[in-house]
Amino acid sequence: MTESSAPERASDGAARGGDREPALRQLVAEQLARSSLAEAMHTARDLLASAPGRRSCRYLSERIASLPKLEPGARRIALLSSFSIEFLHDALVATAFAAGTRLEVYQPAFATFRQEILDPSSRLYAEQPDFVVLAVEAEDWSTGPFGEFFALRDDDQAAAVARFDDELMALLSTFRGRSAAPLLVHNLALPAWRKLGILDAKSAHGQAALIGRLNDALTRVARSVADVHVVDYAGLVNRHGALNWYDDRMRLYARAPIAGAMQHRLAEEYVKFVRALVGGARKCLVVDLDNTLWGGVVGEDGVDGIRLGPSYPGSAYLRFQQLVHDLGRRGVILAIASKNNPADVDEVFARHPSMLLRKEDFAAVEVGWSAKSESLRRIAARLSIGLEHVVFVDDNPVECEEIRRALPQVQVIALPPQPERYVAELEREGLFDTLAISDEDRRRGDLYRQRAAAESVRAGAGSLEDFYRDLAMEIIVAPIGPVTLPRAAQLTQKTNQFNVTTRRYTESEIAERLRDDSWTGFTVAVRDRFGDNGVVGVALGRDTGRALEIDTLLLSCRVIGRTVETAMLAQLCDDAAARGLVALEGRFLPTAKNAPARDVFERHGFARDGGRDGGENWRLDLSTRRVHWPVWFVRATEGAAA
Amino acid sequence: MTADVTERVRQVMADILQIDLAAIGDDTSMDTVEQWDSANHINLVLALEEEFGVAFDVGEIEAMTSFPSVVAGVLAKA
Repeated sequence: MTESSAPERASDGAARGGDREPALRQLVAEQLARSSLAEAMHTARDLLASAPGRRSCRYLSERIASLPKLEPGARRIALLSSFSIEFLHDALVATAFAAGTRLEVYQPAFATFRQEILDPSSRLYAEQPDFVVLAVEAEDWSTGPFGEFFALRDDDQAAAVARFDDELMALLSTFRGRSAAPLLVHNLALPAWRKLGILDAKSAHGQAALIGRLNDALTRVARSVADVHVVDYAGLVNRHGALNWYDDRMRLYARAPIAGAMQHRLAEEYVKFVRALVGGARKCLVVDLDNTLWGGVVGEDGVDGIRLGPSYPGSAYLRFQQLVHDLGRRGVILAIASKNNPADVDEVFARHPSMLLRKEDFAAVEVGWSAKSESLRRIAARLSIGLEHVVFVDDNPVECEEIRRALPQVQVIALPPQPERYVAELEREGLFDTLAISDEDRRRGDLYRQRAAAESVRAGAGSLEDFYRDLAMEIIVAPIGPVTLPRAAQLTQKTNQFNVTTRRYTESEIAERLRDDSWTGFTVAVRDRFGDNGVVGVALGRDTGRALEIDTLLLSCRVIGRTVETAMLAQLCDDAAARGLVALEGRFLPTAKNAPARDVFERHGFARDGGRDGGENWRLDLSTRRVHWPVWFVRATEGAAA
Repeated sequence: MTADVTERVRQVMADILQIDLAAIGDDTSMDTVEQWDSANHINLVLALEEEFGVAFDVGEIEAMTSFPSVVAGVLAKA
């Protein structure tokens, strides 16, 4: 279902936005002019997606700067650095705005970070920033691993670490004594080349080891001063590679060591902290299934045909499942919104050997055919969380667009066509990142699952009926005849799940029974607004003189959960009444696989009537009860029975 | 191609220096545009490098002080 009719999106790929860029610029300018900030933030996001780069950032930053000052929701961030960090300004303002926060930036002259912190009358404190960043390159903290490296003996290295430890502790404690603003401090990145060359990594006193000890000290200090957080600058440089990250030309010419293309990445890293600090971290991840958690469409390819497992592309989907799983363990609430047959999905969870995620990992599961925005609304209601805390992930651009329009609060991640890119796509923005993880976070998934289970019992049939009606199901009941006989026999032979007696018949065996007037039999075909399911059910009954005994009642798993069995029992009631019989008798013969049919008689008002040979007998007294046709079915008499 | 490069340079300059596209001409230079200071010069160079997928040497960066010399600098790289 999700593979077809995917229109090209301008936002996909690295190419400039082309046609959309001027329109998005104009739109965001208009929205800002009338102070529609929430809308402007969405448009800014689209603009940065379709035309990423300095020009868009400058455009947004200039327009955001012209907004009235002291607008509620605006935050001030101070950037203290040992280098020219002003080239980051536009990217930071634009990225934060697209993520929902208007930032005003205060930047003192570079390399004055010590004075700004130590001087109680500095502008840093006068500005009363909401957040402070301390961006200092390793060589600007300590000359030990750099210019002084070969002058230091081993115990001098220890003294260099102690000196750094003392200085950082003094600076951060002083800051904390004067400001309550959260402080984000960079840790120390390794340079591209090592002082000891190929020996460095092995040496206990190599440059890498020394920087490692400095980072250990930094981490200890950060943990000991309240509300200090560590920007993993070393991780960021590593992710992109030091040779890409740094621009030695600009380092030496303009004191701006970070390459132009990488400045935006650093801005995005700060925005993760800003998001977490303003309470904007997302809490719930809603995933699609087909071509998202596995490759292919289970309704078409079958459980054994979907791509999931050790070899590509199944391996890519497995990696993505690992990330979703890990997020769940971190406290993110997981949910599913999929257009599928519930039975197909259940089957994948139940028996696909490579599924890493279990159905129990998901606090809410919406599998059906209603609009995904409806599914997301139900999920949010059932979990009692706001849509502004939801992230939706889907490979289908049409579904993504539907959510963007219907539920703009939801953060939508449109997956690229290559499944190996899914992990990076979901990781990139750190949407779920928080500054602490509690035991409660780790248990949250369980709590929400329990709450969801209770809610779904209370929700009752109302929403389910809407779903059935929404399907616009048309049902065709037809006597078994020459045209339908092969399909009827085939269904008796291969239907295992929804099958009360699992009696296997050949075509001639069915034909032979139906030549006897005491036997009756029909097939059921179902069409819905998504297409024709063909013949999906078979019933055979025998007139015992007192009752109509149900010999066979089966349903293809494609349509389980849609009340087709109710319609079939209603038809059997009609047949029994037409023969002047007073009861319908059913028999359930349990097998290893037919649990889905186990409660069908009980659910429809049959009374238990003993049993024998491990089977259960059920009886519906037609003088007091009938099974009624579900009102959401349109009954057709001919046409699709082939 | 020259016309195309000229036009794209004009757009980058208009965006980064926040000046009117139509006002950019042969006399547009660091001496005549107030916002075109040394910091914005770096911003402009980085935006040009991003736009055209090129990298300028420091000598070239220092020579690109006017609209015509920026166009010439980009054309020399393309």
